[in-house]
Amino acid sequence: MEKVLTKKFFPKWVEKLKSYKIYAPVKENEHWSYTNIDDPENIDLDYPLTTLSPKKIIFPQREIFLEFTASNEGGTEVKEILPAEEPSVIFGVKPCEAIALTLTDKVFSGDIKDPYYWKRRNQTTLIGISCNTPPSPNCFCVSVNGSPYSKEGLDILMTDIGDKYYIEILTKKGEKLLNLAKGLFKSPTANDKKNTEQIHIESKKKIKRQIENIKKIPPKLKEMFDSPFWDEESMSCLQCGICTYLCPTCHCFDINDEIASSSPIKGKRIRTWDTCQFPDFTMHSSGHNPRPDKASRLRQRILHKFQYFVDRYQNYQCTGCGRCISFCPVGIDLIKVLDKVSDYGL
Amino acid sequence: MVNLEDLKKEARQILKDGKAKYIIGYKKGANDLMPTPAFITKPEDAEDLVWNPACFHNLTHFLVDEKRRKAKEKEPDERPVGIVVKGCDSRAIITLLQEKFLNREDVYILGVSCENTGVLDEKKLAKKIKGKKVKKVEFDEKNNFIITTPDGKTKIPAEEILAEKCIECKANFPVIYDVLFGEKVERNIDNPFKSLEKIESLPREERWTFWKEQLDKCIRCYACRSVCPMCYCDECVADTINFAVTADTTAEEKAQKIKWVEKSPVSSENFAYHLVRAIHLAGRCIDCGECERACPMDIPIRLLNKKLEKEAKELFDYDAGFDPEQPPLVSCFKDEDPEDFIR
Repeated sequence: MEKVLTKKFFPKWVEKLKSYKIYAPVKENEHWSYTNIDDPENIDLDYPLTTLSPKKIIFPQREIFLEFTASNEGGTEVKEILPAEEPSVIFGVKPCEAIALTLTDKVFSGDIKDPYYWKRRNQTTLIGISCNTPPSPNCFCVSVNGSPYSKEGLDILMTDIGDKYYIEILTKKGEKLLNLAKGLFKSPTANDKKNTEQIHIESKKKIKRQIENIKKIPPKLKEMFDSPFWDEESMSCLQCGICTYLCPTCHCFDINDEIASSSPIKGKRIRTWDTCQFPDFTMHSSGHNPRPDKASRLRQRILHKFQYFVDRYQNYQCTGCGRCISFCPVGIDLIKVLDKVSDYGL
Repeated sequence: MVNLEDLKKEARQILKDGKAKYIIGYKKGANDLMPTPAFITKPEDAEDLVWNPACFHNLTHFLVDEKRRKAKEKEPDERPVGIVVKGCDSRAIITLLQEKFLNREDVYILGVSCENTGVLDEKKLAKKIKGKKVKKVEFDEKNNFIITTPDGKTKIPAEEILAEKCIECKANFPVIYDVLFGEKVERNIDNPFKSLEKIESLPREERWTFWKEQLDKCIRCYACRSVCPMCYCDECVADTINFAVTADTTAEEKAQKIKWVEKSPVSSENFAYHLVRAIHLAGRCIDCGECERACPMDIPIRLLNKKLEKEAKELFDYDAGFDPEQPPLVSCFKDEDPEDFIR
């Protein structure tokens, strides 16, 4: 179903969504961030790229699993903590960020469906906005099966067509949000439709960066596991967590018991983000570390995204947002690394 | 002015003569603005070296890497590593020498003088040119930065887009080097702690609110620690794992590892991490500003370190990274120390 919404009515729509927790991109100093907002007037959908994707809402950096207290009579009392019942809406989701969530969905849907992840995922409605101009100079979604107006993973896709938004309702969840403010939406004219199509076509042409020969990369990587290539490429890597923490698809985590009191023993079991780029990620208790150096850790990041994930889920674990490139303090450029992989003479 | 051709020539010669096993410098990066660290082993590749106002990285961090790598080699190449350093970076080398982490013969220092300018601040530049794409940045002879965008060349007075650390710089040319490029221009800084004035003027409650807001943003990616040449500890209080474990370490010893800082990115833990790091850098931080530049969350980490730099100056008249013979601040005491407990 398609509708149009005059831009000045947009805050009115958001106002009607009082029963939801609303997140939208907000500018904080130089950076944009998905933030819980109260005033719909604060929403600005014409924004570049947030530092962290909506991953931080669906898969928060800190998730409490359970609380435990050791009782004096022996035994331990355990209380499961699930995310609060909190229907949420995220406005301004970029298409690559929504695709990223569909990839994370696969990971958290094995034999055991992760209850924490799915609770948040199911209660969140994703309203995307197509990227009429690339939100970052390092955007390359079209190289990894994406597009600046992809609908995948979204409940609603909005497109800015001047003084109004063209609105494509994609799921029941999305429809529900529209029904709360029915009077505000109009049926699109043939011209609206044409405009939207034109804007979409143009938007794809504006993406400047691309990975050459992406199809060649997964099989090539298989042959390059022991290559000295990784030593060369990782020389400048700092081993920080920026590329992976900012990545909308990276989902690795650690689970720790955080003790609040030692008598009686009381504490929480907490899941936090973790990253393959930290040396302690693979450290064994024997002191042996199977990924002992920068080369093996950079290789892991690339191979997980462009070989292992492809083998397992038939998709790249990368949606081309370009954050790892834009934020790397030493300028390691994923696209350049992959281009070098395709050209690498074995 | 630094003549890049001289720098390339020297680098080429050193590699040709086998005087260094490789040279750490800057080369053109994938993005037109920011150069990327270069590790040059072949004399002909010295041609790749660049020197421009976006060479902000402090490359001395890679000397720490080199030492670690060398420790694992069975037959290590004992030749020094050549490295391109600015004034601030050279102070990091001095601190590493003071702490006996490095030996002077381990490094062949190619010092470049920032003369009257320094390196630019990417955010200030982006604002100045209204987000236009940068094709090239260059120094000129009159303390301007020449910025090339698709619209052509613009001359911007360096002071308008200079990194904060350069505005308060105490070493605009290297204090230690084997070869120097550019001039030793004397420069007087009115107040090397100007950036602290605003925060210091606030009442305690407001300072607390400010820092809480800032540190709550931290995602604990540890880029600040990773980029810092002084953060070379084998074990860090921020890690939940003991890296000093070997096959002989007993279970009991492993269990005794204290968790000082939890992984949860909450106020208490973020404060613990950042304050421990700041205290550990007191009298060691040479204000290269890399921690703040690397931070993806825009936390003004430099202010914390600057404050401790000021304390070290005011209490002990100590400036980090100027004299390799001077003992490190926190590992020495003076007889005339006013505190009794020290004697």
